[in-house]
Amino acid sequence: MTQSTAELKQALPPGHEPETIRVIYAYFLAATFWLLIGTLYGLLAALKLYWPDFAVAEWLSFGRIRPIHTNTLLWGWSSIALVGLAMFVVSRTSKVRLWSPRLAMIALGLWNVAVLLGLLTLSVGISRGPQEYREWIWPIAVLFGAGVVLNGYNYYRTVAARTTREIYVSNWFILGAFCWMTILYATAYLPFYQGGLGNTVIQGYYMHNGVGMWFTPLILGITYYALPRMLGKPIYSYALGVLGFWTNMLFYTLIGAHHFIFSPVPWWLQTTAILFSVGMMVPVWSGSGNFFLTAHGSWAQVRRSYPLIFILVGVWGYALVSTQGTIEAFRTANVYWHFTNFTVGHSHLAMYGFVAFLVWGAIYGLLPRITGQSPSPSAIAIHFWLSFVGGSIYVLSISAAGILQGMSWVAGESFIASVEASAPMWLWRTVGGLLMVASHVVFAMNLWAMRPREISHEVREAVA
Amino acid sequence: MSLHTDHRALVAVAALGYLVLTLIIGILPAFEIQRTKPLADAPARTPEVSLGRQLYLDDGCGFCHTQFVRGLDMDRPYGRESLAADYAGEQPPLLGTQRTGPDLANVGIRQPSEIWHLIHLYNPRAVVPSSVMPAYPWYFLLKDEAAESDVVVPVPPQFVPPGKIAVASPEALAVVRYLQSLKQPEVPR
Repeated sequence: MTQSTAELKQALPPGHEPETIRVIYAYFLAATFWLLIGTLYGLLAALKLYWPDFAVAEWLSFGRIRPIHTNTLLWGWSSIALVGLAMFVVSRTSKVRLWSPRLAMIALGLWNVAVLLGLLTLSVGISRGPQEYREWIWPIAVLFGAGVVLNGYNYYRTVAARTTREIYVSNWFILGAFCWMTILYATAYLPFYQGGLGNTVIQGYYMHNGVGMWFTPLILGITYYALPRMLGKPIYSYALGVLGFWTNMLFYTLIGAHHFIFSPVPWWLQTTAILFSVGMMVPVWSGSGNFFLTAHGSWAQVRRSYPLIFILVGVWGYALVSTQGTIEAFRTANVYWHFTNFTVGHSHLAMYGFVAFLVWGAIYGLLPRITGQSPSPSAIAIHFWLSFVGGSIYVLSISAAGILQGMSWVAGESFIASVEASAPMWLWRTVGGLLMVASHVVFAMNLWAMRPREISHEVREAVA
Repeated sequence: MSLHTDHRALVAVAALGYLVLTLIIGILPAFEIQRTKPLADAPARTPEVSLGRQLYLDDGCGFCHTQFVRGLDMDRPYGRESLAADYAGEQPPLLGTQRTGPDLANVGIRQPSEIWHLIHLYNPRAVVPSSVMPAYPWYFLLKDEAAESDVVVPVPPQFVPPGKIAVASPEALAVVRYLQSLKQPEVPR
């Protein structure tokens, strides 16, 4: 109890230095701000599909707000939250301080500027057209890409300075994600091979790899740390994690063309994509199976902890959405589901049911350990149930809309019949979306309750 | 050297491996296919049509409308099966991934009427009551009286304020010219 603050800081475990905690928390604050903005745009888009003459204005028209919704949530919310969590994981598992908290802060600044400029330019119709998730014009993409490179370098230097001999499997996934995203993003924006259908080949590669080689490895790396840490026991199988890493890289990379089945994109590319979509079952079930087996035997502990429930639901989301993706890639299923809202359900199951639930579980599970501040358990429960019920209504209703559309088209009805058939489902989707937005407000309040104050009592006691 | 203990090797293998896969599955096929030539009787775009296409891009029309006809029965009403040549030189090509609205690859043939397109753009529900497409009233001017050169749009009275008439702006006309230009050229036998 007689230690000075300076001594106390020296003795803090890596990842717990006040300057690192401040940066991590700044990432979570920024991410949550974009979560609220991005989901409001999503809600507005949902409303407009049911009431098309609601809020008629150029900058709020459906074709403009849809890319704002997706880009704000992919780059503003998901990426910033994941990279903020990864910062803690990299430092903790390498048992060394973050190489440069200042660099991480600069990268966050670049990302915030990019997301804001992206939102503004798309609002006024400055866009690269409907090329999903690369609608931002190139100068904005350069800002975002620079942030990826800076953060990647920072984490690489942190792992390089580790005091452990082995590189923990989390860091395989996290460093991998930064390598892959750098290559992926550059490939998506360089123009030399993107004339005509060349652009479509790259589009399929890019939009699929964005999920598979950036968001997925980041969240898997985080979960490989968070789940065992929260359960207080080691991961079930280290080797299974390494298998998942390599098969994810090999199979996921090759399946983008399944977004353009029956197109004039070369037939061999489409068939390769379908084949490796089946291969995806290997990394998916080795990852999710590994997490389930880690939780096995601790179900009583899981039941009492909403952070762990968030994680387990997210792992289920991972297994479900990936298996669903494999099925969607088959040509017969594609006939019914392609071009329909079923795809929208699939992407929300991925980015919400899988990624966002794991992010929330990890934030609720880890942040109180570093700030010493917890929200009330019932506030976490309210967030969970609003997100879970809202997200489920969303995914089920929009998937039903997709099935109705596909059936109407196969039956050869006039096009407007498919719109009329979907309309009630679009109303349900909006109800689900409303609950999701409400849950995000609760999350924002909970995040505020976990804000860092001084060095926490818990840490003080642990050190003393 | 072990990937478990050597961070340089780990990052190098992950990055190089991914780069090779990217070349095989993305960049090389893209280089190959971008050399496709357009069909012989594909018409050149006028500046007005190009402006219309730009507006179509900026307003995100392609998020709901495909221009991509597959060789499936359900796609038959939209035209013949799309070919790589149909997209030659397009930047970006507008195949699309969602069909919340109908396919437009051949809409210039299916719906050639300028007046229909203008009314539909002003407010789709004026011609298709259960449509959910956005209305684009900002592409039109509301006037008390039309000038000689104005293109007056016969919008049903409940869609305009009393005493006003809707006149198409140059942008509205450009979008319609673009839609009218979407005609699949004949495939030479």
